[in-house]
Amino acid sequence: MTEYLVRRLFQSVLVLFLISILTFAMIHAAPGGPTQVFLAPGLSPEAAKVQAHNLGLDRPVLVQYSIWLGHLVTGDLGYTFKNHIPVGDILWPTVKNTMVLMGAAWLFSLLIAIPWGIYNSTSQYGFSDQTSSFVSYIGFAMPTFWFGIILQEYFSLKHDWLPLSDMYTMGKEGNMGDLFMHLILPVSVLTLGFLASYTKYAKASMLEVLGQDYIRTARAKGLREGRVIFRHALRNALIPIITILGLDLPILVGGAALTERVFNWPGMGRLFVDMAVAREYSVLMSITLVVSVIVVVGNLVADILYAIVDPRVQLGSKGGAAR
Amino acid sequence: MSELKLEQRAVTVSSAEVKPPADKRPPGPWRTAWKKFVQNPFAVAGLIILAIFIIAAVCAKWISPYDPTRIDMMFPNLHAGTDGHPLGTDELGRDILSRLLYSSRISLTVGFLVAFVSVFIGTIVGAFAGYFGGWVDTIAMRFVDVMNSIPSLFLNILILAIFGSKISYMILVLAFTSWMGVARLVRGTYLQLREMQYVEAAKATGVSHFGIIFRHLLRNATAPIIVTATLMVGGAILSESALSYLGLGVQTPDTSWGLMLSNAQEFMLTDPLQALYPGVCILTVVLAVNFIGDGIRDGLDPRMTTIPRRRLAQWRKKFSKSEI
Repeated sequence: MTEYLVRRLFQSVLVLFLISILTFAMIHAAPGGPTQVFLAPGLSPEAAKVQAHNLGLDRPVLVQYSIWLGHLVTGDLGYTFKNHIPVGDILWPTVKNTMVLMGAAWLFSLLIAIPWGIYNSTSQYGFSDQTSSFVSYIGFAMPTFWFGIILQEYFSLKHDWLPLSDMYTMGKEGNMGDLFMHLILPVSVLTLGFLASYTKYAKASMLEVLGQDYIRTARAKGLREGRVIFRHALRNALIPIITILGLDLPILVGGAALTERVFNWPGMGRLFVDMAVAREYSVLMSITLVVSVIVVVGNLVADILYAIVDPRVQLGSKGGAAR
Repeated sequence: MSELKLEQRAVTVSSAEVKPPADKRPPGPWRTAWKKFVQNPFAVAGLIILAIFIIAAVCAKWISPYDPTRIDMMFPNLHAGTDGHPLGTDELGRDILSRLLYSSRISLTVGFLVAFVSVFIGTIVGAFAGYFGGWVDTIAMRFVDVMNSIPSLFLNILILAIFGSKISYMILVLAFTSWMGVARLVRGTYLQLREMQYVEAAKATGVSHFGIIFRHLLRNATAPIIVTATLMVGGAILSESALSYLGLGVQTPDTSWGLMLSNAQEFMLTDPLQALYPGVCILTVVLAVNFIGDGIRDGLDPRMTTIPRRRLAQWRKKFSKSEI
């Protein structure tokens, strides 16, 4: 176990290191190079040279990279271009807001998807099962942001039932009830997206377990069906779902970004899009890295959890559960 | 006399016996797949819908009633069906139907090209990784891990923000961030296929690695590649609409469904229906493509045989011996 942990940890750090190189290289590959990216347009060549020297852009690329990485590790994400605010100051609050939205959507969709998947596994091709596959077809084919716009039009413009956008009503910051009302629409949009895949996974995983010998044994003993499903099958069926939750994290974060934009949710995704339009490269690089850290750590936690929960997992062979 | 007749008959019989194999060859895998595909109503419906969209996109120049970029500030926000605008006009008085038609051009082009380019990249990376194994495989798969760990939407936005938004860039960027699935799949297939005896035979007869990878093995990996390629088109159309909606994809003189949606959201109060049309177009096209992809997958999978319900009932009636 320890060996697996160490190796898996090393792998994650390596991936993060490579991601930092990729992000850094991308700025350097920009047309005109980093000087073009980081300097104010319209400077005279001499002034540009002085500026570039002050910013350290005339040093060798490797030196620049190691300085940047050193700052990153100590938590210094650099400054914005326009107002010279530390990037961390505008980034961390949005990370928290994104977590609130993502967490709520995630929890809500799991709460629906797992029971629904279990029910569908017990009554295959029934009405509920057909409905769920219909929902998943729609969920995979529909642009999430469009669904958001439609919900906004119906629930807040046509019938003023729910707030149109933002996280809090003006002057009610920190009010939980108000936050809840604002969460309903974006969470429903995100839930539809996740529901599609999670219900499918839950059903498939449950069906696989239900086909095993010990379930037949349990039924042959004369146990009630409810006991067989909830006591015997469910525990084993839930294990593979852990991995899938980890692997789906990038989609989750990406979907949250679009939804944030539609509902003007003050999160990381909205900040990212705003900053992309404003060409604030230091913020863009930081957010890309933060998002990647979330994904890598999420995958790591999922893998470790998987190994802890399922004693049958053979660690060490074939590169572990992480493949 | 009778002997001669007998002989003649024998001859004719034997010639009749020789002939049938030429005609009644077992159907090839592609033919079987096509047959199964045609029997799948969803897949056929998807194919028809996609064909309609493609024809509309190709003929957009002739069938669209107005120039999609013509601004007519005299008649902004017309409702559907007024003054010869079948679906009304947007906030600048541009005809919505014409814009939808021209948008389908860009959205479909981007969708198909992205699928093509990413399958191309993914196949090459996966083929080399799977065939050679060892450090080539390790490096390629580590790179796939890295690419998979950055949410692709963020990476797309970052690259487009750095390099600027052009349709050609967008296609390349979308392909660059979506080839990993194909690479994994092709690598897996090649890992299995390279142990086959015909590979050993090809090596023994002196076929180069290149020849084995692209002539002998690629054919056997085509089926899964085609399936993922089809399913990828839908994803690419969705990504394109998302990027254009965010303002980083298609830029204003051109038009796309995502861009139309972002315009529509600004003017939700005046004309709520404006947001409906482009979204319905995206939904329909992506659904159609996904149905086609599923149809191809089921058609190519020899384990999948869909038995029509009616035939199943007939069999039950015929062979079931129980009296229930």
